[in-house]
Amino acid sequence: MLQFLSKLAPRSPWIYRINAGSCNGCDVEMATTALIPRYDVERLGCKYCGSPRHADVVLISGPLTLRVRDKVLRVYNEIPHPKVTVAVGVCPVSGGCFRDGYSVGADIDHYIPLDVIVPGCPPRPQAIMEGVLKAVEVWRARLEEGICSHS
Amino acid sequence: MTDILEAAFAILIFPGGLFALALGLFLKGTDRKVLARLQRRVGPPLYQPVLDIIKLMTKETLIPSTANEVAFRLAPVLGLTGVLVTAAVMPIGGVWSGVNGLGDLLILLYLLPIPAMGLMLAGGASSSPYGALGFSREMCLMFAYEMPLIASFLAVAVRVGGATGSLLSLPAIMDYQFQHGPLLFDPVMLPAALALILFIPGTMGSGLFDIPEAEPEVIEGPLLEYSGPLLAVFHLMSVVKLVVVLELAVALLCPNPLVAGGGAGVLANLAWHICKCLVLLMVSVTCFRAATGRLRLDQGFSFFVKYTSPLALVSLGLAFMLR
Repeated sequence: MLQFLSKLAPRSPWIYRINAGSCNGCDVEMATTALIPRYDVERLGCKYCGSPRHADVVLISGPLTLRVRDKVLRVYNEIPHPKVTVAVGVCPVSGGCFRDGYSVGADIDHYIPLDVIVPGCPPRPQAIMEGVLKAVEVWRARLEEGICSHS
Repeated sequence: MTDILEAAFAILIFPGGLFALALGLFLKGTDRKVLARLQRRVGPPLYQPVLDIIKLMTKETLIPSTANEVAFRLAPVLGLTGVLVTAAVMPIGGVWSGVNGLGDLLILLYLLPIPAMGLMLAGGASSSPYGALGFSREMCLMFAYEMPLIASFLAVAVRVGGATGSLLSLPAIMDYQFQHGPLLFDPVMLPAALALILFIPGTMGSGLFDIPEAEPEVIEGPLLEYSGPLLAVFHLMSVVKLVVVLELAVALLCPNPLVAGGGAGVLANLAWHICKCLVLLMVSVTCFRAATGRLRLDQGFSFFVKYTSPLALVSLGLAFMLR
């Protein structure tokens, strides 16, 4: 029964976006997947939700700037387990074109475990959707292995 | 003893409970699919609401440290219980004539606001400013949309009571329509029917009236702090509430069965009833939601006070004069 449920549960990934100091380019592309009929994410069962407590898949964009670091971590901790993290754009992994900036600290994966990385500056909407699908695979694998205990 | 068993059956299995949940999830899925097609999207599969519920059941429950935990846990359960009892009272034309002595418009007036009360309790208990905003919005809007509801209830009661002598009983209203034709096609009741149809998006918070749970404004208001199974209970509450308000409008406006008699006729009547609910859903929720944006709270309030209530009052006045 539980195995059956763990097969079904990842078919309803609700997405939450965190902007960790992004230039808004990636956010526009994410909005594209949400709003434009051609890239309808709802057909995958996705829903962009406003509250971190409803989320399953987290899309993080932008280099982690010093100013928002603590707030991003706080919001990330408010997302209930099991959760999967997707880094959108090159900024979360390397800092992108902001990497030597005065306001950019360490990369996001020093603080938050990244599961899927969608590179690009910005990535195309198709790439973001593929990233979400890969995140769903990661989620499903975790549910089957039972790694994501509620601890 | 049999009374208790009968009531338990009505609340837990049919027409409340399992039946109402299944019908509600189906209606919700249809709503999302048709909305997507109207926007030229592919849309989620029809069973997506079921998947959402299953997913939420596997998630962790987080409770804010500043929240009142008892009220926080109680609110969704209270709301779901309330709507299930309401669904059990709803009669279905040609299938189910309601629990004896319970099918009464006055009782409905008390039962219908319970889901809204659950949301208000949730918003208040969650200790979040957005929850509090959602609480106050829900309450303001409730005062506005209860007015046309009461007025159209009274209009129906006077119209039926003038003919049969029993004022507020739902079975009497159904019987009246079986004999005299649906109230929807009664010219005197047409304004009240319109008011009742506008009440549905108001209480469901769709289209113009997506005010208490406005996602871009108050981040789903009272539901903001909920996660996991508790959120799933709130979603179930909202789908059963959808069934309840649609069935209420069908019972008051057009409960006539397709065929008379029992056996296979009951199934045909049930299918007919579900078709009527679907049509009403398309008109008053889906197309309404696709065609309109959100109003401000004061605009939503004055919409019901200025335009919807007078419609129902016109019917009430006419029904009084023609009594």
